[in-house]
Amino acid sequence: MLIQINSSQRFLSGSFGRECLAGICLAVCLLSAACEKSSPDESLLAESASHGAEPAEERETLIEPFDPPTLEELDAQVTWIDKPVLDAMNVSREDQEISGPPSATVDEALALRNDSFDANATIVDALGRLPADDQAVNWESQFLRRLEGDVKSTNPLMQSSTVESEVLKYFSVYLHSYDWNMKPFGNANYVETWQTSEDGLYDKIVLRDDMVWSDGEPMTAFDVEFSYRTIMDPAIPIPAVRTGTDKLRWVQAYDERTIVYFHREASATNVWDMWLPLVPRHIYKDSIAEDPTLQTSEYHVKYEQLPVVGGPYKITRRVRGQEIVLERRDEYYMHQGQQVRGKPHFKKLLFRTILDPNTALLALRTGEVEECSMTPDQWLGQQPGDSFDKLNIKASGLQWVYFFIGWNCQSPFFNDKRVRWAMTYAYDYREMLDVIYQGLYEPCNNLFHPDSWMAPDPPLPMIQQDLGKSVELLRQAGWTDTDADGILDKEIHGEQVPFEFTILVAQRPDRIKCCALLQESLDRIGIICHVRPVEFTVLQQKNRDHEFQATMAGWGTGTDPYSNENIFATEEDRNYGVYSNPRVDELFAEGKAMLDPVKRAKIYGEIAKLLYEDQPYTWLYFRNAFYGFNRKLRGYRFSPRGPYSYGPGSDSLWKSAAAVSH
Amino acid sequence: MISYLIRRILIAVVTLILITFVIYGLIRSIPGDPITVDMAQSDPSRSLSPEDRKRLEKIYGLDKHWTIAYGQWIGNLVRLEMGQSISRKLPVARLIRDRLLPTLLLSVSSLLITYILCIPLGLWITVRDGTVGERALSTGLYMLYSLPSFVAALFLQLLLSVKLGWLPLMGMVSDDYEQMSLLGKTWDIFKHALMPAACFTYGSLAYYTRFVKSNMMEVVRQDYVRTAKAKGVTPVGVVWKHAFRNTLIPLVTLIGLTLPALLSGAVILEQIYSWPGMGSLFFASIRERDYPTIMGLTLVFSALTLLGQLLADLLYAVVDPRVTYS
Repeated sequence: MLIQINSSQRFLSGSFGRECLAGICLAVCLLSAACEKSSPDESLLAESASHGAEPAEERETLIEPFDPPTLEELDAQVTWIDKPVLDAMNVSREDQEISGPPSATVDEALALRNDSFDANATIVDALGRLPADDQAVNWESQFLRRLEGDVKSTNPLMQSSTVESEVLKYFSVYLHSYDWNMKPFGNANYVETWQTSEDGLYDKIVLRDDMVWSDGEPMTAFDVEFSYRTIMDPAIPIPAVRTGTDKLRWVQAYDERTIVYFHREASATNVWDMWLPLVPRHIYKDSIAEDPTLQTSEYHVKYEQLPVVGGPYKITRRVRGQEIVLERRDEYYMHQGQQVRGKPHFKKLLFRTILDPNTALLALRTGEVEECSMTPDQWLGQQPGDSFDKLNIKASGLQWVYFFIGWNCQSPFFNDKRVRWAMTYAYDYREMLDVIYQGLYEPCNNLFHPDSWMAPDPPLPMIQQDLGKSVELLRQAGWTDTDADGILDKEIHGEQVPFEFTILVAQRPDRIKCCALLQESLDRIGIICHVRPVEFTVLQQKNRDHEFQATMAGWGTGTDPYSNENIFATEEDRNYGVYSNPRVDELFAEGKAMLDPVKRAKIYGEIAKLLYEDQPYTWLYFRNAFYGFNRKLRGYRFSPRGPYSYGPGSDSLWKSAAAVSH
Repeated sequence: MISYLIRRILIAVVTLILITFVIYGLIRSIPGDPITVDMAQSDPSRSLSPEDRKRLEKIYGLDKHWTIAYGQWIGNLVRLEMGQSISRKLPVARLIRDRLLPTLLLSVSSLLITYILCIPLGLWITVRDGTVGERALSTGLYMLYSLPSFVAALFLQLLLSVKLGWLPLMGMVSDDYEQMSLLGKTWDIFKHALMPAACFTYGSLAYYTRFVKSNMMEVVRQDYVRTAKAKGVTPVGVVWKHAFRNTLIPLVTLIGLTLPALLSGAVILEQIYSWPGMGSLFFASIRERDYPTIMGLTLVFSALTLLGQLLADLLYAVVDPRVTYS
């Protein structure tokens, strides 16, 4: 043992000089590099310091110079057409009245086990209802929600993930909303009137005069204009929030209540471009120049922790990575002693950050959360009579989220649409739907769900596995087994190339199985397919860089089909497979400009048909939404974007005053 | 002793520079950056435009070569700044400060429990070698050692929280923590820490106990032990005074090696138990490619590991009077 210590000491002594010298050299090199340039944050601050002396309104901007007319000139110049201004809760209530009484009582629904489509429909119909009257609601209740990730910013301008929007929607202000069919309308909680000019180039909104921020300051049209200008400030690290807003030509507040949006062109998507979150001007107007990151200065850190908000709830506690507590704002629905808006159903909302899905399910069982999305395995794994049923009930709904295998159209394997069709015919859809997903998912054959208004009419035929057709299409495309080694091959650039490719997939067991299913089928017709699971972020980057031959991924639906332009139009940002069809590009442009909804639906139907013919993707399935809800909860209704992301969505949930736990 | 310490600290600094340099190079080489994840998680209607992506890259310093960015990071570090988390919009030092204590609470207490328990257990199974009790305990220890901690974590959650309701399922404190007395707060944290600490501990406890036993079995065959027995020293005296003290050195060596294992274990266990420590932050930061946070955590993990090794080397001198650093 003594020898061991001594040799260790010798090693330390002997190598000391060499190691230190190397270390010092490295340190000097690095330090000199560091001195050449200050940190990114500091360079940003240095850049912002040049703005420091300028008033907030004169900061550098991405807005092109424009001289807006006065309101009188504008009113004289255009003809205004009234647009709908609605209370989302009333829209939902009216829809429920039209659909008639529920098919079962609450007690009957709670007694059901959700093990069939019929049982699910009954449960959602009976428990998804809004309260019949105010007495039915437990106004003092709290709602315990699960968050799949941390909320990284409470500033609505900085939100970048769906996790953040889940929380921020409770205290953010948007002047527009949309129903479960994604039909937009002015949000009556904030907007008195909304008008669009006959030529579609202007939108005028008059705000209500009874809105206050959580610090008591009035909310005005100047906050809207300020929010627009802030979003268009290039020094602020605004994530995707700027998209759409940057299509606006100008936003002008004419007085405390009147705001006009100036568009560059008449377009069916103008309403979505006006979709911008509001921030209080009086809080940020002077501080942005000092700290354009909105997150570094003590001042901004304070408001990041407990922001000044305008929505129904306010943050009262935030422990990063653990929980966020929101409380109902009385001043949101009460004004000068009068109730002016619907009272939010919960007194308190507690969001618990639970990253692990298994822990989240256990938390649902113990009542530490009262809602939680479930994986198909978790959905099927809840056995009759287990502890899950004591506190919870399952509910499911269709989502317009489709999964596909995308082909790189630049790859020598998949640049021929006959080969892509061969892949589509090779896939065993029955096995995927019945065995991997155990009948829980619906088949998908194009980018639009058959229930959507833009779905092709008549519907496109569903595809069944047909290996004979695959072989024939491959033969037509020149892929045959010339050397009788059992693998198809083809001469490409003078070289005989075997048909061997790799499909990238996220490290999710079900998706790997989906790819393995293709692998097995292709193996039978002489194609070697390697399935390569990769980390989600790596997959994203590989897709963005077009560094793949085939990839499995999924898309959720946007609020309008124009968002697909970004995926399928030539050289667009999310067109990972480098697909290109000039006619599709033209149709996307036409669809955006078309104001007639019927003609617009036909345009998108035509796009779906062309994409079906070209098969840039082999569409696989629509992923449904699976949730566990506490038995005390009522009011959940599923939209194509899940149970929360629409108007009223999460606002429609409530707890019964009877509070009977079955 | 002082010159030895200075030498070790200097070597530790060089090691830290090399570790962080390699790690920075590696994380910047992995496909994806902080904006990639943001884009993947955003609303499909709100995809980031290429122009905005370039602006963000410039703001976050992603447009620079990684060696230059690393130089900037080291430069900041010399000024005692760890930079700003890209995804969490907070100074990294503050993020780590908030997360350090919860992780140390689990790892240090686990280390202490392991050492406190493994010695008597190891000695007991040495003395009882070959008996039914020893066989049973040894088998149990082998089983524990081979049981993955994330599986044990789920079993414990199911049993102690869901079925029996004895312990809280997750988190570090209860909802009403702020209203509790000091004693109540301590008890609350203790209850929350019990399951994750058990998962942290059992694997190393099993390994250490076996380690003590195998070392003891070697030592008890030595001549001086036989001599002690022949001189009439009691069995306890033989084991405790003559045999055990000579097994301490390899045991102390393990301290330096255990700390990194505990910290890496924290990455999974903290996520399962929603424990707000550095492990879960590390896991999320890697997925988000939040380079400043990854680097800050790497630095802290590396420094703690080097500190553990230094501590182990210093303890040699304590447990073995023949070792001196002067």
